[in-house]
Amino acid sequence: MSAKSENMRVKGLSRRSLLSAAALGPLGLAAPARAASPAPVPKVASLDYGLASTLMNLGITPTAIVSLADWDKWVIEPEIPAGVTDLGNGWEINFEVLAMLKPDLILTTPYLDALKPRLETMGKVLRLEIYDASGGAVLSKAYAATRELAQAVDRVAEGDTFLARADVYFDDCRKRLALIGAPPVVLMGFLDARHARVYASPGLYDNVLSRIGVENAWKGQGNYWGFETIGIEDLARVTNPRARLIAFEPVPGDVLPKLAESPLWKALPISQPGRFSVIPGALMFGMVNDAMRFAHLLTEHLENTA
Amino acid sequence: MTAIAAAPGRLAGPPLVTIIIALAAAAFAVLRLEPELVAISQQAPGYDIRQVVLLYSTLPRMATALLAGAALGLSGSLFQQVLRNPLASPTTLGVSAGANLSLALATLYMPGLLGFGRDLVALAGSAIAAGLVFLLGARRGFSPFSLVLSGLIISLWCGALSAVLVMLNDRWLASLFIWGAGSLSQQSWVIPLSLLPKVAMAGLLAWLIVRPLGLVELGEAGATALGVDTARLRLLAIIVAVALAAFVTSAVGVIGFIGLVAPIIARLSGARRSGSVLLWSALIGAALLWLADGVVQYLAGAFSDFLPTGAVTAVFGSPLLLLLLHRLKVRHRVLPEQGRILSRRLQASPGLTLAAIAGLALLVAAALLVGRAADGDWALLQPDLYIDILPLRFPRVLGALSAGAMLAIAGTILQRLTGNEMASPEVLGIGAGATIGVTVTIFIVASPGFGLQITSAAAGALAVLGLVVGFALRGGLLPERVLLAGIALSAMVDAVVGVLSSTGDPRAMFLLRWMSGSTYGMETSTALAVVAAAIVLVTAAASAHRWLDILPLGPAPAAGLGLSLPRSRLFLFALAGLASAAATLCVGPLSFIGLMGPHLARECGLLRARPQILGAALLGGGLMVVADWLGRTIIFPYQIPAGLVSALVGAPFLMLLMRRK
Repeated sequence: MSAKSENMRVKGLSRRSLLSAAALGPLGLAAPARAASPAPVPKVASLDYGLASTLMNLGITPTAIVSLADWDKWVIEPEIPAGVTDLGNGWEINFEVLAMLKPDLILTTPYLDALKPRLETMGKVLRLEIYDASGGAVLSKAYAATRELAQAVDRVAEGDTFLARADVYFDDCRKRLALIGAPPVVLMGFLDARHARVYASPGLYDNVLSRIGVENAWKGQGNYWGFETIGIEDLARVTNPRARLIAFEPVPGDVLPKLAESPLWKALPISQPGRFSVIPGALMFGMVNDAMRFAHLLTEHLENTA
Repeated sequence: MTAIAAAPGRLAGPPLVTIIIALAAAAFAVLRLEPELVAISQQAPGYDIRQVVLLYSTLPRMATALLAGAALGLSGSLFQQVLRNPLASPTTLGVSAGANLSLALATLYMPGLLGFGRDLVALAGSAIAAGLVFLLGARRGFSPFSLVLSGLIISLWCGALSAVLVMLNDRWLASLFIWGAGSLSQQSWVIPLSLLPKVAMAGLLAWLIVRPLGLVELGEAGATALGVDTARLRLLAIIVAVALAAFVTSAVGVIGFIGLVAPIIARLSGARRSGSVLLWSALIGAALLWLADGVVQYLAGAFSDFLPTGAVTAVFGSPLLLLLLHRLKVRHRVLPEQGRILSRRLQASPGLTLAAIAGLALLVAAALLVGRAADGDWALLQPDLYIDILPLRFPRVLGALSAGAMLAIAGTILQRLTGNEMASPEVLGIGAGATIGVTVTIFIVASPGFGLQITSAAAGALAVLGLVVGFALRGGLLPERVLLAGIALSAMVDAVVGVLSSTGDPRAMFLLRWMSGSTYGMETSTALAVVAAAIVLVTAAASAHRWLDILPLGPAPAAGLGLSLPRSRLFLFALAGLASAAATLCVGPLSFIGLMGPHLARECGLLRARPQILGAALLGGGLMVVADWLGRTIIFPYQIPAGLVSALVGAPFLMLLMRRK
């Protein structure tokens, strides 16, 4: 026990140096705008992946994150340094951990409104709306939420730099995609060999598509999270002959072999070789950080297969 | 219609019913196919994706619906005849829960196995579950009761474990929701073509055991006298029924209600002999599922949304059951195990009571003080943390204790009142009612606070309680009708959650968590209210012990002893209803404690009503405290709802007890 806590303390102390030394991805995600910020680093607990990834991009490593164990499965970038505490499952945030950590600020979303009164007894709470029943364009809400967050943690300059970098990046993607005359796309995640989620308006993926000038060939309307659950045969509704079908990882093990045996799948115009592909995933219910990762993955893929 | 009513013995009813259902199904099929056919006929010959969709999606889907429906009807009819229990269905023996669990495990830990085939994995799971049920049942000579009880325990256990896995991996296991809700969507003929020979073979086998099955219906003694080996015959029939259900569940998922409803319709419409019940159950099952799927696709088209058929069959299967209830023949049963354990009877002495209470107090103290630190290390709570942590733990422990006790007394009352070992608060539909209340609320308010949740749950629970009691009053308060009404409601709630889950609606996670029975939402004020309710209700139940001793003897002796049947039953039902409602409000519909508490008390030898009630309350409360503590600590900082843990821990315990004898 003592060895473990010792270890954690050491890592905790060197968190900032670790952060600046962290390997930067192609996007420079989570690269702090300045090497060291004059403002003191607050202890922040994030109850949302998107808010946590945004916070990292403002140069603050959260003290605790919800469902940290699954971060590498869904968010992937930026990498979380050691020493961050796991708050447990999204629906049952571990109040005992929160009470012991005594954070300066707790970041939450409308998804967890039921917990808000109790969270407020444990520290200052900031509730940011990106995905809620009122709907609306997710990406611009994420921009607004990023500014609000930057203000709350006293990192306004870092926030502006981050959003400016995102804009530059999206513009760059737009130019690169226009150059190759990017085709319309259908974005989906396989649930099993017979069902999938298609990402539709008004989701984050859909918003990014219009930001970088790619047409979403799925014309259906999604829920406010921006997806629709379909049977594979519904893909026949996509009539655009140029449309490409892109599935995100992870794909369950039996899906592709089973589909290979399906006459319907084989007959779908959109599943033909050259039109269908699988690429790594980005958090579909995320914020600007995740929008950039998605734009990056899609642009690279479309360029490589142009 | 008058002709049927006048001559229910002749076979005028079943064909008519089948034809009516099939015609309705055909109407929906035409409705769906017509635009496609018109579009295809207008096209120039050559490639057309709509033709491919018709050929490889629409038509195989219909074939699958017919085959799966027939298989489930056949399977349910076999179960109901062999077990002589109108509540039996293909899911009663844990087949689909076992399949579901094996799929969840494979998806999470051995995704490579799914490459070999989802069906194989699911079949293996259902075979293991059914095997376990048989193993337990064999100890008691395959008596219908012990089989159903073992099946139910296995089913609950698998269901609880799958739910834990789903909850801990909510984003990852979305496909399991769909599978669990039974989607018939097809992209090739592979599934119907592989189902056809399996179902045909099992159907043939069922046909061969029809005649001797008819003898079993004459009664155990009669059949034995005629030289029929009843145990072996039952085993064979059950294997066939399990296989049929396993084929369907592994191919398209859980479509349980058809297997329960089809045989009931067959019997109610006038099929009497075993053979005709089997035949018409299969045909009615096929027509029913075809109709259900037609309606589902029609609705899905209208709302342009994804709807899983299995969940929808339950949505409109349950009201159908409610409508048919008053025609069901009901006979009173005496609890079979009564008196078997008399020899090992515990004396309910003051010393024993004191020891039990002291044990419980120790348990509560341990649950409060032993836990984990923020870094995950096990630790005894340090005094300087009391002020931060105890206000978080105390309400949960108190809530768990009281809820467990209340569920256990509700279960005791229901089991004594109905003579049915399967009776438990969830079966009464109270938990379902509370869940309906919360469901309605989250559709109106996106994220209701705790106060609103509790208010709406109470409203739902009381509404169902009123409905059930009112319904039961008109039917003369026959216990089995009340149970069936409750089951129908519970199935409807499950179905709604299933539909939500498979569309990926985030509200489904909320409902799932709510239904799994977590003490997470307890706060000091609610916990104290629940404790008060528990004290009042347990006292009331214990003081009604005379009724509870006499009623299980059957209506005639009870009336002979000068008991007013309707009044005593109404009082006891209301008591059970209030206890389950109060428990459900704070920790969700934790039916397992309501099932376990009374059984454990009886297994301990507490046979008379008062000791059984008090024993069940202590055991139920204690079990729940342990479950809650395990749920809070075992995978810290993640948490497992106490209701699920109690099922996971309690079921093997109960099985051990059963095996020992």
